[in-house]
Amino acid sequence: MAIALEYEYFKPRALDEAVALKARFGEKGRFLAGGTDLVNNLNDESCRPQAVIDLKGIETLKRLEMTSRGLFLGPLVTFSDLIDSRTVKSRYPLLWESAREVASTGIRNRATVAGNICSCVPCMDSAPPLVAYRATVLIRGPEGEREIPAAEFFRGPRKTALKAGELLAGLLLPRPPKHGAAFLKQKRYRGEDLAQSNLAVLALEGKKYRVVFGSVGPTPIEAMKIEKLLEGKALTAGLAAAARKLVRKEIAPIDDLRSSREYRFIMAEVMLERGLQAAAARLKGKGPAYGTPLV
Amino acid sequence: MKKTITLTLNGETRAVDVEPNDILLDVVRDKLGVKSPKYGCGRGDCGSCTVIMDGRTVRSCLILAIEADGAEIVTVEGLCRDGLTPLQESFLKHNSFQCGYCAPGMTLSATELLERKASPSREEVQEAIAGNLCRCTGYTAIIDAILETAGK
Amino acid sequence: METTRVVGHSYPRIDGKEKITGAAQYVDDIEFGPNLLYAEIVESPHPSALIKGIDARAAKKVPGVGAVVTGKDFPYKFGLYMQDRYILAQDRVRFVGEQVAAVIARDPKTARRAARLVKVDYKPLKPVFDQVRALKDRKTLIHPDLGDYEHVPWFFPRGGTNIAHHRKIRRGDLKQAFEESDVVLEDVYHVPRYAHCCLEGHIAVGLCDHSGRLTVWSSSQSPHTQRHLFVGALQELGFSHKDVRVITPYIGGGFGGKAGVTMEILAAAFATKTRGMPVKVRWRRDQEFYNTYMRQAVETRIKIGATKDGKLTAFEMENFWDAGPYVEYGANVVNSSALSATGPYYFPALKIDSYCIYTNLPAAGPYRGFGYSEMLFSVESHLDRLAKKLGMTPLALRKKNLLRRGMPLSYGAGMTENNLEECLDRVAAAIDYGKKEKSKDPNKVIGKGIAGAWKGPAMPPNASSSAFIKFSEDGSLNVLVSGIDMGQGLLTVMAQVASEVLTVPVEKIRTECPDTDRNPYEWQTVASHVTWSCGNAVKRAAIDARDRIFETVGRAYKYNPESLYLEDEQVKCSTDPDFAVAFKDFVIDGIMLEDGTFRGGPIVGRGMFMPEFMSTVCDPETSQGGHPNPHYTVGAGGIVLEIDKETGKVRVLKAAEGFDCGKVLNPSLVEGQVIGGFMQGLATALYEDMRFGEDGAILNPNFTDYKIPTALDVPDEIIPIIDVETPQHDGPYGARGIGEHTMIPVAPMVANAVYDAVGIRIKRLPVTAEKIALAIREGRTEVE
Repeated sequence: MAIALEYEYFKPRALDEAVALKARFGEKGRFLAGGTDLVNNLNDESCRPQAVIDLKGIETLKRLEMTSRGLFLGPLVTFSDLIDSRTVKSRYPLLWESAREVASTGIRNRATVAGNICSCVPCMDSAPPLVAYRATVLIRGPEGEREIPAAEFFRGPRKTALKAGELLAGLLLPRPPKHGAAFLKQKRYRGEDLAQSNLAVLALEGKKYRVVFGSVGPTPIEAMKIEKLLEGKALTAGLAAAARKLVRKEIAPIDDLRSSREYRFIMAEVMLERGLQAAAARLKGKGPAYGTPLV
Repeated sequence: MKKTITLTLNGETRAVDVEPNDILLDVVRDKLGVKSPKYGCGRGDCGSCTVIMDGRTVRSCLILAIEADGAEIVTVEGLCRDGLTPLQESFLKHNSFQCGYCAPGMTLSATELLERKASPSREEVQEAIAGNLCRCTGYTAIIDAILETAGK
Repeated sequence: METTRVVGHSYPRIDGKEKITGAAQYVDDIEFGPNLLYAEIVESPHPSALIKGIDARAAKKVPGVGAVVTGKDFPYKFGLYMQDRYILAQDRVRFVGEQVAAVIARDPKTARRAARLVKVDYKPLKPVFDQVRALKDRKTLIHPDLGDYEHVPWFFPRGGTNIAHHRKIRRGDLKQAFEESDVVLEDVYHVPRYAHCCLEGHIAVGLCDHSGRLTVWSSSQSPHTQRHLFVGALQELGFSHKDVRVITPYIGGGFGGKAGVTMEILAAAFATKTRGMPVKVRWRRDQEFYNTYMRQAVETRIKIGATKDGKLTAFEMENFWDAGPYVEYGANVVNSSALSATGPYYFPALKIDSYCIYTNLPAAGPYRGFGYSEMLFSVESHLDRLAKKLGMTPLALRKKNLLRRGMPLSYGAGMTENNLEECLDRVAAAIDYGKKEKSKDPNKVIGKGIAGAWKGPAMPPNASSSAFIKFSEDGSLNVLVSGIDMGQGLLTVMAQVASEVLTVPVEKIRTECPDTDRNPYEWQTVASHVTWSCGNAVKRAAIDARDRIFETVGRAYKYNPESLYLEDEQVKCSTDPDFAVAFKDFVIDGIMLEDGTFRGGPIVGRGMFMPEFMSTVCDPETSQGGHPNPHYTVGAGGIVLEIDKETGKVRVLKAAEGFDCGKVLNPSLVEGQVIGGFMQGLATALYEDMRFGEDGAILNPNFTDYKIPTALDVPDEIIPIIDVETPQHDGPYGARGIGEHTMIPVAPMVANAVYDAVGIRIKRLPVTAEKIALAIREGRTEVE
């Protein structure tokens, strides 16, 4: 095992320095956070940078805290940080549940949420919850700062809204209303697996629902038809079954090595029904404990 | 472009020259002479390369050596410098390992769990070591030994 | 069986401390110094092609490159049972990933960069991937010279075809037997390829020094066989066995994949080009998948008949094995599994044809179970279906037709000692077989399944083991064998055997990892035969040492040696209760007499075991008359699973395995084989799913997409039943093997339990959640 590629390594001490380095190298400069994606790509040469810019020297990027605008996640926040955070578990249980589904402990201790969404692989686990929580992506570039909604951040497989020289500076999750949530993931077994499909469901106080599928289209898909069907109604078995019937109109899965298209449809339908039931129950303080596998 | 990095490895300060494309697993094994972390897959899927870095288990095959500048790294050699840990004694008693290749990584993951959680459930033990693949044992004797150690 | 002090007890393994402290050394952990070179292989992108030319000029110019080698440097054939393999491809390549050339350089990065500069000019040929098509195809020949290949006398290759071997077994009048049957059932089953997935991949380091001495350190189950094959392959270079040394330290799993020789020959060969400098060849995980041995795939057509009272009458089977392009080892998988294809059941009339067929998929060969898992999936699934047609329980049908001791095996020899009935009964009881259970979850259903299993060691009739025992000054022992410990616990059990005879505590015994210079011959650690064979050799060596002790002490102290006995590391006398002399006082130094002279000297023991009753000589048209298997270990497995009807996901609630391996020398280690083998079998049933592209390249050569179980996938309850213990009359303390068997019943018992749960008969592995869910949705009763 030896990386044959040659590149320079930088470890800036401040965000401005990182941005300047990225501007200098453009497409040929790659940010390094946890490395669980990038190092693999350097090894198989799917990524061939001239410079690797290690962000871990910038302390401020590790922040995970409640602010006036909601929960702030710095780009160096790892999945383990999310799991260990009582704030995340109690206030953003959907994000907490999804963090637990990522890989294994040793990966979660390094892999960052920012890295996950910047890789923008269709099977990313953190994207559906961020869209469901209406997160804002904070971007820093040579021209300054800007913000966009998470849903607009994902443009296609391995394609984000980041422009040349830009860096993902953080994520903001606004304080959500009282809610119950469920994150479900289609896997080939109980051990570590990349999602063949995944689903984030929020049942909000006031009979509103958010349903966001992942890994069944090039980018996360918010199921608007299903949300419209459910809005204003209490979740009964009949309503969940009706919602299930709309799944095939919302998602566009593919056949690949990991799952057939048809099985992805089947699993998406089952996950929607069980996810809605769990989220609705949890809104009332009932239902299975967060972290219980539902499929 | 070689750089000299300094890190603490099993309690000892070590300095070593690395290139930006050197992988931590290779540097620990080949340049620093600590052999217990193993190459199993090179992609972070199997856990054989696990080391404890700054207090948390990580997959050293997915870390560039240069990222470890200033870090504190612990492997099983460091854990048992002053004698076997209760966990290791339990592994011996239960004949938990067969070929032994997964044992160092598995031991570190279990050690991390027991340091963070005094009385883990069976499922929590399984989750903690789910990233350490073992092809020989079927895991049962490993899980039993970890639970027994926690029970004490 | 005799009562024993040491064997039969769950000693902690003697290599345990080394393994949990990181002290255990595997090949990659050995320091070879600053002159170590690294090899990177140039591999074929084509499944079948002629090699028109190789241009290595650019690669050779890269600073740090020592040599670039191709097939022209090593035009030598090799193979264990058949010589159909090359060190580096010669005029053609036969699978995607086959080794064509190698760059040997000062560091791995340079080797990797330079390898990319080697230009190979190919002329692609038409490949053949489907073994049934390859069988019939007389034009697309993967080995045009097959008719000239050297092979062992019990193989029957057909030159001018892709048939590397055809084993035929015939008994009785099959046509009449089917006519006399009340129920006949025929169908086709498919078992795909699988990968061993040892956590430690293949690795070898070769060093040929300037005196002509070649040493290879390898992760191997077979150091002596490797040495023999290296000498054979490189004989033009003039090596004799004494010049070649193979050292195998601890290995990180084997499962049959590190038997024989695959990539290790590269290190041996390359070393001859880089004299004085060691060269390391270490497989990456993806190479581990596509360029070692895979487990062969098989398509089985099976037809079984029975009378309405449940007596089996007739067995007809055709096995079409996809063995890959090099079958020097894999052909024996086809051969030996065919001889036992009926499973542990008696069929008066039978006709078995097993074809070992060349294809252009990666090379395949031995894997834990040696063809029996592949073969018995069809038999054990089929028996359940036949039972249903007969209106009998699957358990009753099996019990009515067991091959009991003395009954004729398919090749005529008598079945050996076994108690399969007890294994079946106890496994069935452990899972409450026959009692239908209901799940608490309305979405889920529970099903139960059982399967029988057996296996005999597949070995040449003269496979042998030998052992040396030597004492040290303090009375401690070294046991030297060339059986290896791949995790099954051989080193520990050999120490226990020596301890039982010599009374030296296990804690004072060291069983050494093999070094062909120091440790005496062992054929290979395969076939679940070393507990029996090497155990016999060690027991004989210990008895030999004991005889030396008695002879020396008798002579020195003037006692009749027959009046002496051993106890607590001392020699005592039955006719003189006051006499006792401790080992440590004489086992090196000898015994001083009153006149100041000494008697005795260092005590060493030697032992050897080779079965003298086995033979492969038989009628080639019927296979009658041979004695190819020394004995059988039998057993059964049962499983309770819960299936989610919507998602198809399977959860194992409980599993039980009962095996009769004779005397259990170390219960804890045997239980480890039951649980480990069960999980490995479960994985082939539920999770492992190898895929190939249209070009014959493996699509998932990694753990991301080839799933082997994690700790989260282990069922809560796995029940090992190992105390059946019908003694093996010629085994050490009554023991025989168990290493492979525990995997064999699992895939069919899962398929049988799935049928019990959801009424769907899976005839093609794996039984994934996706397959079950889709079948349920589509209302299908079979998955082909």
